[in-house]
Amino acid sequence: MPDTQRGLRPSLFHLLLAFAALAALIGMSRGAFGEGGEPRYFAITNARIMTAAGAPIDGGTVVVAKGLIQAVGTNVTIPPEAWVIDGKGMTVYPGLIDAGTNIGLQEEETPGPVSGGRGAARRSMTPSGPIPMGPEDRPGTTPWRVAADEFKTDDKRIETWRDAGFTTVLSAPDSGIFPGQGSIIDLGGDRSGDFVVKPSATLQVSFRPAGGFFGFPDSLMGTIAYVRQMLDDASWYAQSEPIYDANPTKNERLPYDRAERTISQALAAKETVILPANNSVQILRGLRLADEWKIPAALYGGQQGYAVAEAIAAKNVPVIVGLKWPERPKDADPEGEQTLRELRFRDRAPGTPAAFVKAGVKFAFSSDGLAGPKDISKNLKKSLDAGLTPDAALRAFTKDAADILGVGDRLGTIETGKIANLVVTDGDIFNEKTKVKDVFVDGRLYQVHAETPSEKPHGGDDKPNRASASPAADRGTSTARVNR
Amino acid sequence: MKSRILLATSSSLMTLGATLVFSLVAMAQNAPGVYAIKGAKVYTLAGPPIQNGIVVIRDAKIAVIGANAEIPAGAQVIDASGLEVYPGLFDPVTQIGLDEVSAVGATVDVSELGNYNPDIVAATAVNPASAHIPVTRASGITHVVAAPGASGFDSPGGGVITGQASAFNLAGWTMDEMQIKRSVAMVINWPTMETRSFDFATFSVQEKPFEEAKKDYDKKINEISDWLDRARHYAQVKEKGSPTNYERDLKLEALVPVVEGKLPVIVIAARAREIHSAVDFFAKQSIHMVLADGADAWKVKDLLKDKKIPVILGPTLREPHEEDAAYDREMTQPAELQAAGIPIAFSSFGAGFSRRLSQYAGTAVAYGLPHDEALKAVTINAAQMLGISDQVGTIEPGKLGNLIVTDGDPLEIKTQVRYLFIKGQLTSLENRHHQLYEEYRNRPQLVH
Amino acid sequence: MNTSGLFLALGSLLLAAVPASAQNSNTILIRNATVLTVTHGNIEHGSILIRDGKIAGVGADVKAPDGATVIDATGQFVIPGIVDCHSHIAVDGSVNEGGPSVSSMARIPDVLNPVDISIYRDLAGGVTEANVLHGSANSIGGQTVVIKLRWGKPADQLPMEGAMPGIKFALGENPKRSNFDPPPGVPRRYPGTRMGVEETIRQAFTGAREYKKQWDDYSQRKAAGEANLIPPRRNVTLDPLVEVLEGKRYVHAHSYRADEIAMLMRVANEFGFKVRTFQHVLEGYKIADELALSGSGASTFSDWWAYKMEAYDAIPYNAALMTQRGVVVSVNSDDAEEATHLNQEAAKSMKYGGLSPNDALKLVTLNPAIQLGIDTRVGSIDVGKDADLAIYNRDPLSVYAVVQKTLIDGQVYFDRDRDIAQRASLEKEKQDLIDKEKKAAESEKKKPQEQGKKPEPKKKGGKPETSDGQVSAGGAL
Repeated sequence: MPDTQRGLRPSLFHLLLAFAALAALIGMSRGAFGEGGEPRYFAITNARIMTAAGAPIDGGTVVVAKGLIQAVGTNVTIPPEAWVIDGKGMTVYPGLIDAGTNIGLQEEETPGPVSGGRGAARRSMTPSGPIPMGPEDRPGTTPWRVAADEFKTDDKRIETWRDAGFTTVLSAPDSGIFPGQGSIIDLGGDRSGDFVVKPSATLQVSFRPAGGFFGFPDSLMGTIAYVRQMLDDASWYAQSEPIYDANPTKNERLPYDRAERTISQALAAKETVILPANNSVQILRGLRLADEWKIPAALYGGQQGYAVAEAIAAKNVPVIVGLKWPERPKDADPEGEQTLRELRFRDRAPGTPAAFVKAGVKFAFSSDGLAGPKDISKNLKKSLDAGLTPDAALRAFTKDAADILGVGDRLGTIETGKIANLVVTDGDIFNEKTKVKDVFVDGRLYQVHAETPSEKPHGGDDKPNRASASPAADRGTSTARVNR
Repeated sequence: MKSRILLATSSSLMTLGATLVFSLVAMAQNAPGVYAIKGAKVYTLAGPPIQNGIVVIRDAKIAVIGANAEIPAGAQVIDASGLEVYPGLFDPVTQIGLDEVSAVGATVDVSELGNYNPDIVAATAVNPASAHIPVTRASGITHVVAAPGASGFDSPGGGVITGQASAFNLAGWTMDEMQIKRSVAMVINWPTMETRSFDFATFSVQEKPFEEAKKDYDKKINEISDWLDRARHYAQVKEKGSPTNYERDLKLEALVPVVEGKLPVIVIAARAREIHSAVDFFAKQSIHMVLADGADAWKVKDLLKDKKIPVILGPTLREPHEEDAAYDREMTQPAELQAAGIPIAFSSFGAGFSRRLSQYAGTAVAYGLPHDEALKAVTINAAQMLGISDQVGTIEPGKLGNLIVTDGDPLEIKTQVRYLFIKGQLTSLENRHHQLYEEYRNRPQLVH
Repeated sequence: MNTSGLFLALGSLLLAAVPASAQNSNTILIRNATVLTVTHGNIEHGSILIRDGKIAGVGADVKAPDGATVIDATGQFVIPGIVDCHSHIAVDGSVNEGGPSVSSMARIPDVLNPVDISIYRDLAGGVTEANVLHGSANSIGGQTVVIKLRWGKPADQLPMEGAMPGIKFALGENPKRSNFDPPPGVPRRYPGTRMGVEETIRQAFTGAREYKKQWDDYSQRKAAGEANLIPPRRNVTLDPLVEVLEGKRYVHAHSYRADEIAMLMRVANEFGFKVRTFQHVLEGYKIADELALSGSGASTFSDWWAYKMEAYDAIPYNAALMTQRGVVVSVNSDDAEEATHLNQEAAKSMKYGGLSPNDALKLVTLNPAIQLGIDTRVGSIDVGKDADLAIYNRDPLSVYAVVQKTLIDGQVYFDRDRDIAQRASLEKEKQDLIDKEKKAAESEKKKPQEQGKKPEPKKKGGKPETSDGQVSAGGAL
C-alpha cells in the first residue's frame, strides 16, 4: 500500500505498543517500575482523637486516603483497602509543627559584627568582599533564596523530628538582613520537592547589622533604616512597574533590582513577614515597625512576651516563641556579673506561653537552637510547669502554628479534607514517658520503634517496617516508601 | 608627611606653651626665698586649724607656723586675711607630663611596649614644659606622681610591670629641680580575667571561655612571681657572689629594691577577685603593696584592713561597673573604706582631668566621708603611702613649702586658689587656659 | 515589663506612706524649700503646687489644697530638672551608624532602650530631659530625639511630645577619622580632611534639594491631572535633610575648631538653614561674637581638654566667655556618668569666668531648654510649665549637694530614700533567683545521662541571642 494511505489507519500492533509504553509511563509515575504496594489507605480505630478543632473524640476512627483525612468520628465508613491500625489505648494527634528551624539547609556562618555568645570567638568584624557603604549596595539582601530550593533530604533531623511526632516544619535561610523565604516542609517524601507544602510561606527579616565594622549597616538603627528603605523600594517597584509596562514610551525605563521585585511579589502574596523580637523592648519595637510598615508580621523569639502580652494582643500580631529558654552560658565566669534583669528574664521566660494564652496572643513554637526533640520536650515542660495547659500547648504546635504560617486551611487539625499528618502515641504526647508509635506524613505511614542500644543497618526486608536511625538508602530500589 | 606636620604643629604649640611657662616661672623663681603668709586660717592637717595664723617659708621649706610666729626681716609678706591656707594637694596617680594630647601618639609616653619594663622611669619622659603642669597647679595641686602604664580616661594603659613612678613638684626648669623622688614606686598592672576583649589590630571582638581566661590569668601571675624570684636571686648574686660571676641585668636590678622592701609597689586592680589575689600574692612575697583603682575594694574591705593595704582610689566620678550596683556605689566607697579603717587617697589617673581631684574628694564628702578625712586623702595620706610624707602632705616645719592659699573650702567647686607655693617659691597661677581666656576676652567686639 | 512592675510596686509604696484620707497623686505640694526658679529669682521657704503634671503655683504662700500629697522639702533646694543637651543614653546597639559618610537614614527614635540603667542613674543626678544624639562618626549623622527620663515606661513613652526632632552633624577629627587606622583591608573613608567634611555636607544638601525638586515636580504634575506618572522614589536618607531645609528638623553639630564652626555657619547659610546648636564647640570662645550673631546655641563641656588635638585649645572659661558675649550656652555631658553631676559642672562657670549663680544654673536648665525649643515646657519653675523638678539637700551649685528626688510630669521618678530602702529586698530577690537556678542546675546534673549522641545544636542566627548575658531581657542587641 502506498505511504499516504497507510498513515490513515495505524495497525493494531502499533496501538498495542503505544498502549504498553503509556502504561509503563503511568506505572513509573506511580512508583518505581510497577511498585504498587505503597499503602495509601489507613484507618486508625478506637482511639482517643485530639482533633485540635474541638473536643477530643473517644473511641474514634480516623480514615486516611491518598494523603488526606477522609473521615473522622465515631461512626465512619472504613474503606476496604484500608490498613487498619487498632488504636485501642492510643491517642491520635495532628502532626506537630515546628515553626522555626533550618532543617534541610546548610548551617551558615553568620556574617557581620559579633553580637556575643559562644562560638563567636575570633570572628572578624569586617565582612569578606567589598564593604557596603550605603543602602544601594543591598547589604545582606537575598530575599530570593527559598528554603524549598535548597532543601536537602539527607538531613538526619528529618527523621529525628518525625520520630518525635513532628510532621511539619518551617525551614528558612538565615544569613543577612533579608535572608530569604521560609518554606513549609512536611517531614517525609522521596525527592526534595515532595516534602514541600508551601515553598514561599514567610519573608524572613533580621536586624543583625550585616555591614561589618565600617561597612553599612554597622548598627541596629542603620539596619532598621535599611529595612525601611528596602520596603519603600519594593513598594515603589510594585507601584511603578505596572505603570511603566503600560506606558513604556512615557517614562524612563526602570532598572532591574532583584530584591525589589522579589520582595514586592512576596508582599503581594501576603507572605508572613518574620520579625525577630525577643525581649520586651524588641517586641514593642517590632509591633511598632510592623504598624509603620503595614506588613503582616509574626514576631520571632518572643521570650519576654510575659511582660508585654496585652500589647501584643492589642495589635493582633502572632508570635513564634523560641523554646530555647535563656540560660546562663556554660563557660561563663562563675563570678561574672549576673544582672537582676537577666535573672528575672531567665526565671520568667518559660511562663510566656501561659501569659499569651491569658492575654489572647496567638503563638506557635520554634526549636531554633535546640539540639533535638528531647530538648524541645524538656523545655516545653518548663512552660507546662509554669501554667501552660496541655490543650494550649497542643494548639500552639498544631492549629495555631498552621494558621500563623498561612496553611491553616490545609494543615494542623484532624478534620476531613486536611492533609493527613498524624501522630499516634500511647499516651499524652507531652508526657516524657509517652512513646510515639506511628507518624503519618502526607498520609504515608512511618512506624517508630524504640531506640536500640546500637544502630542496626537498614536491612532489605520485604516487610515495610524498619523506620530507625539508618541513613536514607537508595531511593530507586527500596521496597516501600515507609522505610525512609 | 602628615605626622611630621602634626609634630611640627604640636611642637610649635609646645614651644608656645613652654615660652609662657618659662616667662611665668622665671618671674616666680626670681622672687625672694622668704615669705610670710599672715592673717589666714591655717589648716596644717597636723593638728587643729590655726585661726589667724602665720606661716613662714624659707629656703624652700616651711620654717615656722603659729598664731604668733615671728616674721623674719626681708620676708615677702602676703596678706591673706579672710583666706585659708592648706598643704598643696597631691595627685598620686597621673599621666601628667607623659601625655600631652592623648589621641596624638607622638605626644604620649605613658606605656612602653612589652609587659615587663621595671627599669623604665617616668621622670625620664615627663616634659617639664607640658601645658598640663601650669593648668593643674592652678587648681591647687602642687605635686604629683606620674605613673607609667596606668590607664585613665586620657590614655589606655598597658603592660604588667610597667615601670617606676616618679613624684615631682609642678614647678621647676628641669626634672632635676622638680623631682621629689625619682623612683617612688614600682607600678604593676595586675592581670585581669577578661573573657571578652576588643583587638584593635584586627578590629574583632576576642572571646574566650572562662577556663581559658583563668589559665591565661594564672600564667601571668606566675610570670610576675618568676620575675620577683629572679630579682631576689640577682640581688643575692650581686651582693654575695664574685663580680665576675654575674652579668648586669638592668631589669632585674630595677626590681631589687622591690624585693628588698625598699620600694613600694603600686598595684592597679579593680575587680574583687583580682584585688584579692594581688593582696594574697604580695603578702606571700612579703612585699608592701599599695592598691590603686580599687573599684571593688568595698567587697574585700576586711581583707584590706587585715593586711593593712592602703588604697589610692580611682576617680570618684565614674560609673559603677555592675548594672545592679547602688547608683552611688563609687561615691560612697571612700567613706565606707575610711570608716573601716583603711587609709585612702584620691587620684585622677589622668592628666587633663587632674584638676578634678578636689571635686572627687568633695563628692565623697557629699556621700558620707568626713571633710577632714577628705582633706587628708588629697594631701598627707598618699604621701604616707608612698614614703614621701617627710617632705610633703602637711604644713609642718621642715617639710617642703608646698602650700595653697584659697578663698574658701578647697574641695568646693567655686573656690579659687589665690596664692600658690611650690618648693617654697611663690608660683604663678598663669596657665594656657587663662592665657587663652584673656586673649579672646580682649578680642574686640565685632561691629555689626 | 519587669521594671515597670517594680516601679508600680514602689509607686504604691510611696502612696501608702501618705495618710489614707489624703490620696490624690495628681495634686502635689513641694513644701518649704528654697526654690531656684531661674527666671524670676530665688524664693526662700517657697512651695510648688503641682496639678496634673504641671506647675500650678510657685511662691512663699502657696498652700496644699485638700487631698494633695505633700513632699516636705524643708531645708532643701528645688531647681528645674536638668536638661542634658548632649546624651547617648537609652540607645539599643551602637550610637553610630559608622559606614557611610552620610547616615541620616538612621534614627535614634527607632532604637530607644528604656531599660538602660543610665536613665535611672541620670535621674539620680537630677536630669529630667536628654537630647539623645547619634554619635560623631559621620559628617552627617542620624536623626535624634529629645526624651524625658521616664524610667519604667516603655520606649514609645520616652520621647518628649512636641519637641522638634533633630539630626546630628559632626565636624573635624571624628568624621575624618584621623586618629585611628581602619582595620586591615578596609580602605579609608572619604572625607579625610576638614575640606572634605564641608563638601560631604554640601553634596548631601545639594542632593536633598534635587530630591525635593523631583517630588515637587511630580506633585505638581499629578495635581495638574497628568496620568501614568512614575513617582520618584522615597529616600529615607534624604528625607530628613529636606526637613532641615524646610526648618522642620534641628541641626546639632559636633564641632571643635573655630574655623570649622565658621564653615558650617557658611554652608548652612548657603542652603538656607540655621544650625540650631553647635555641640562641644570647644573653640566657640574664639568666635563668640559670630556665634551670637548667628543665633545658634552653643552646648559645651565644663572642663574637658587635651584628649584630641582639636581639644587642645579648650578652656574651662568657654561657657562664661560665650555667655558674656551674648551666646545662649549650655553645659552638657556627652557621657552617662558626667550627666549625674551636671550641677557641679555648671558651678564651674562661677569659678572660671565669674558667672553669677543663676547664670551658672541656667547653663543646665533654661538654656538647654531654649536650645532644644522646649523652653515653653521646661527649664524653669514657672506656672504652666511641666512639673519637671530636682530636689537637692543643699545648694545645687555646691559639690556637697545630693539629689533627693527627681520629678517628671509631677511624678516622682527618683527618690533617694526609697532607692536606699529597697536595696536589701532587691539583693534578696537576686540571691533567691541565683539560688533557685543553682538548685535547678544541680538537680539537672543528678538526672541519668541521656542515651545516644546529641547532634550539634544548629544555631539559627535569625533570632537575637538570648542565652548569653549580653543580649537577654531588655539588653542591647
